[in-house]
Amino acid sequence: MIRFEHVTVTYPDAPAPILVDVNFEVPEGELCLVVGVTGSGKSTLLRAVNGLVPRFTGGVMQGSVIVDGRRTSEVSPRELADVVGLVGQDPAASFVTDYVEDELAYAMENLGIAPDIMRRRVEDILDLLGLHELRNRPLASLSGGQQQRVAIGSVLTAGPRVLVLDEPTSALDPAAAEEVLAALTRLVHDLGTTVLIAEHRLERVVQYADRVMLIPGGGQPVVIGLPAEVLRTSVVAPPVVELGRLAGWSPLPLSVREARRSASELRERLSSVVPPVRVPRNIGEIVVVTENLQASYGPITALRGVNLEIRSGEIVAVMGRNGAGKSTLLNHLVGLRAPIGGSVRVMGREPHRLSARDIVRAAGLVPQDCGVLLYHDTVAAECRAADRDTDLAPGSTRAVLDRIVPEIEARTHPRDLSEGQRLGLALAIILASEPPVVLLDEPTRGLDYLAKQRLIHVLTTFANAGTAVVIATHDVEVVAAVADRVVVMAEGEIVADGPAREVVSHSPVFAPQVAKVMAPEPWLTVSEVKAALGALESPGAIA
Amino acid sequence: MSERRLVHPGAWWVWAIGLAAGALRTTNPFLLCLIVAVAGWVVVSRRSDAPWARSFASCLRLGLIVIIIRMVFQVFFGARIPGTIVFSLPEVTLPSWAAGVSIGGTVTTESLVAAFYQGLRLATVVACFGAATSLCSPYRMLRALPSALYEAGVAMTVAFSFAPQAIVSARQVRDARRLRGRSDRGIRAWSGAAMPVLEGALERSVALAASMDSRGYGRRGDVSVPLRRLGSVLTLLGLVLVMIGSYGLLDPGAPVLFRLPAMVLAVLAFVAALLVGGRLNHRTRYRPDPWAFPEWVITLSGVAAVIGSVISARNGDLLDPSVYPLEFPAIPLAALAGVLLASLPAWVAPLPPTALSTSQPLAVAA
Amino acid sequence: MTTAVSRSRVDAVRLTPRSWVLLAAAFVLGIVAFGWPLLGQASGSVNLAHSSDAPWIFIVLVPLLLGVIMAELSEGALDAKSVALLGVLAACGAALRLPSGGVAGFEPVFFLLVPAGRVFGRGFGFVLGALTLFVSALLTGGVGPWLPFQMFAAAWIGFFAGCLPPMRGRSEVVLLAAYGTVSALAYGLAMNLWFWPFVANGESSISYDPAASTLQNLRHFWGFHLTTSLGFDLPRAAFMAAFLLIAGRPLLGAFRRVARRAAFLAPVSFEEIESSSS
Repeated sequence: MIRFEHVTVTYPDAPAPILVDVNFEVPEGELCLVVGVTGSGKSTLLRAVNGLVPRFTGGVMQGSVIVDGRRTSEVSPRELADVVGLVGQDPAASFVTDYVEDELAYAMENLGIAPDIMRRRVEDILDLLGLHELRNRPLASLSGGQQQRVAIGSVLTAGPRVLVLDEPTSALDPAAAEEVLAALTRLVHDLGTTVLIAEHRLERVVQYADRVMLIPGGGQPVVIGLPAEVLRTSVVAPPVVELGRLAGWSPLPLSVREARRSASELRERLSSVVPPVRVPRNIGEIVVVTENLQASYGPITALRGVNLEIRSGEIVAVMGRNGAGKSTLLNHLVGLRAPIGGSVRVMGREPHRLSARDIVRAAGLVPQDCGVLLYHDTVAAECRAADRDTDLAPGSTRAVLDRIVPEIEARTHPRDLSEGQRLGLALAIILASEPPVVLLDEPTRGLDYLAKQRLIHVLTTFANAGTAVVIATHDVEVVAAVADRVVVMAEGEIVADGPAREVVSHSPVFAPQVAKVMAPEPWLTVSEVKAALGALESPGAIA
Repeated sequence: MSERRLVHPGAWWVWAIGLAAGALRTTNPFLLCLIVAVAGWVVVSRRSDAPWARSFASCLRLGLIVIIIRMVFQVFFGARIPGTIVFSLPEVTLPSWAAGVSIGGTVTTESLVAAFYQGLRLATVVACFGAATSLCSPYRMLRALPSALYEAGVAMTVAFSFAPQAIVSARQVRDARRLRGRSDRGIRAWSGAAMPVLEGALERSVALAASMDSRGYGRRGDVSVPLRRLGSVLTLLGLVLVMIGSYGLLDPGAPVLFRLPAMVLAVLAFVAALLVGGRLNHRTRYRPDPWAFPEWVITLSGVAAVIGSVISARNGDLLDPSVYPLEFPAIPLAALAGVLLASLPAWVAPLPPTALSTSQPLAVAA
Repeated sequence: MTTAVSRSRVDAVRLTPRSWVLLAAAFVLGIVAFGWPLLGQASGSVNLAHSSDAPWIFIVLVPLLLGVIMAELSEGALDAKSVALLGVLAACGAALRLPSGGVAGFEPVFFLLVPAGRVFGRGFGFVLGALTLFVSALLTGGVGPWLPFQMFAAAWIGFFAGCLPPMRGRSEVVLLAAYGTVSALAYGLAMNLWFWPFVANGESSISYDPAASTLQNLRHFWGFHLTTSLGFDLPRAAFMAAFLLIAGRPLLGAFRRVARRAAFLAPVSFEEIESSSS
């Protein structure tokens, strides 16, 4: 169905080709997962399937891409609209109309399909994706998962044989991601659509994949094959696979269910070992305290009486579904909003009363969209401005940036950076003034495993130095790796607040994969298991 | 009429234009106020919950401003006609390089009333157009555009969906200034927010364009050459006719044929060119708004407002009440009947669909 | 990283010969549609009877003319990138207008229009000008019979912004600022000229008098313009110049960046490789 033959793509003004001699074939009706670190060329490969690369982006493409018998060098993307459907990360940015039904019909209108056929197809897609109750809703009023399903529906109505998705669940909470992935598997199994999906959070998708394609980047050849084979040697792998590699299980498990079948022996071995306490940090005095904090956005009550204490040196993860109040809480801690009831104190002062210069010394927030922090047109200018704004010695922000993300050229435009680099820059700007409290709102969106590792390392380093870190996230794996304490919020209230291991281990929604596999033993990450195995083998070594 | 649906936007616009045309033919204050009242009544009965439906109030405010400006203008610059003096301002004559304008002088009731009538007329026209924009969804209006203007319509749809987003984005960027230690109050904060919002908007436009391209935007079927030529000919014809018409308008010595008939023909030629151009685009429309009985009633009621005014003029009723000398305006009956007929849509037009509650999340599917 | 990409002109909306004819004719008609009070020859009653028709004729004609020009310009020349850019920029321009409350004098809309017309070409500037005014009028509720004329005038501002001679660096910013000032004043003049017969009828020394000679009317209009709108126009023009001098460079940079990102000018080529495995 999809065939790449000796494809090499070079963008205009780029020093080297981003894809070199890519050869693979995806048979019809399979779900193929595309895996690779940021910058390896995943997006380029996906967009080459329907011809956006090079026709939309410019550049030179050697070799040929053949989809359903048609070559992209001969037809333009708009003519392939009824063969290939492309869905991106941000559904809201791709909407052309204002109502769900009109958006679904848009592609068909472009193709000139007869009105009665359009009616029928719209009804079919509404049923297939579970959208019939939303049909008259304005698009702006839908949740993230619903929007993503509408975006998928809007390309499906043209009846494509191939569906290409570029990180469709990165902006979604786990429940919404499940909805979308369930819809996709239904498409594959019921309609026989060929699906090509790129994801960073492999743990969500890998159990559904028939085939995995690994793009190592740097000009190395693309590897495609069965999931267990490809992931056996891949640098990026979900925790379950890493656990399997560590324990030497064969066949390599791809899902929690498969892993549990092989895990009973490992569980027995480790039942005598107590999971290591996290390296104890100097948990100091209380730096943030909220009492009965209440907040509202217009008529909607966002926070109902939140009581929270955070000490210096702690890393606290705030979890909960979208709309539970996580972002609101963070906004109040940094004084972007004033509470309507109760109190909040950061370093003994009320943040919303502080001037901007003072708040920077007390608490720093890296917002969900780091782009809103960046104004200037080169990285060097951003660093200089950050030094000026916070009265630091020139060069201090740049030094912090180099610690966090090495090798960023000073003259790059901030919007040309990758997600991980942009997060690093935003983090450097906030951390340069060394505030005692650092807040991060959904920092892991769009980050690959390596970037996440770097983030975990940075946060741990700063926490060891006494900074209190609060991170609001959906990513259970990152929470398992870095958090000391987990706070779970729902409907504006805190429903759970305790040490990470207790809160997270037995929760079906928030437990990391390792915890689910090793239940009832309370292990959270592969590195813990590895350290414990190491301790068992050489009993003198402490983790 | 029990079914809730959106009315074809063309019907509302014809209705509004009819009311506006009726308003332009008269300066009778009672008639004008009645027109505004009718427009307001129809808007209140038949508007939807969407955000653009609230714009009628700001139109009324705008109208008020227009009236005030007109009257202030009259006070300072109006012609001095003898009458009942209300008050008088010192008279100042500007030097000749400023065209020797004289400012100030006596202000009479008659001149104030005349200015009020004229301001009221313009305000009424604004209210009629405001009613039309309140009642029609801009998206529906854009879908009802002739297909020749499809691309422009898409650009406008993108603009409408993005504008609220731009404002939200600006607020977020302004908040983020505080996070970097810069003040988030005052004009500096807003102007500093502009660039990131713009850059975000520009990036978004590239993503949007990729999505549109992938969904087949701009697919052109076989272009029929004779149809294309016809379109060009009609456009050219229209241009020529407009040139002739303008010449006729400006030069009184030109033959009568060169004026109004040439212009009317030009209008017809342009309309035809637009319609023909639409055929070249082989897009189909999903569930176009129907033109049914309510649409006919709405359209005809708007036309009735104009016809009533024409009949009044024929009957010799005074559509422009006299100001010098000041008389209490009598109400022309036929025009009154026409305007009252124009309020029919408040009962005949179908109710707009209600927006479903947006606060209940959908139950998670399997 | 700012390369010398696109020393050549980006033309997001290409103009065919037919479009040029249409635009030239529209320009002439625009002069007539705005300036008919000053252009008509007075000779007694014949002209008086039709002088009251003229404004209404143009109110019908100008929107149609705009529609025909739009249709012609979008005929195959408006691809997805241009359309998306147009929509987004029109929305930003409209959002800029909201704080000013639609006050007739202050039009921050042009802040984006002039640099955008400069970077993306004349055709784009024309369409953007018309669209921005339309969208902002619909969003702020200021729809009236003056709207098509505002759209028309703004479209020409965008068009001529794209006609400015190529320059780079500081002199480009100064050029844009100068053009912005001139066009702001011209826009004020044109819209005032349109409003004049409606607002200032009656017999005052600054009213439109169909029976008077052109010179007389010119004097009257000059008086009208001085006393009413010049007070708004001069600050507006000054503000425009100041804005473009300060923010012109970053704006131009942002637009050129997106022109590069959207690959308006980037060459696309396919190269076939003889593969051993067919």
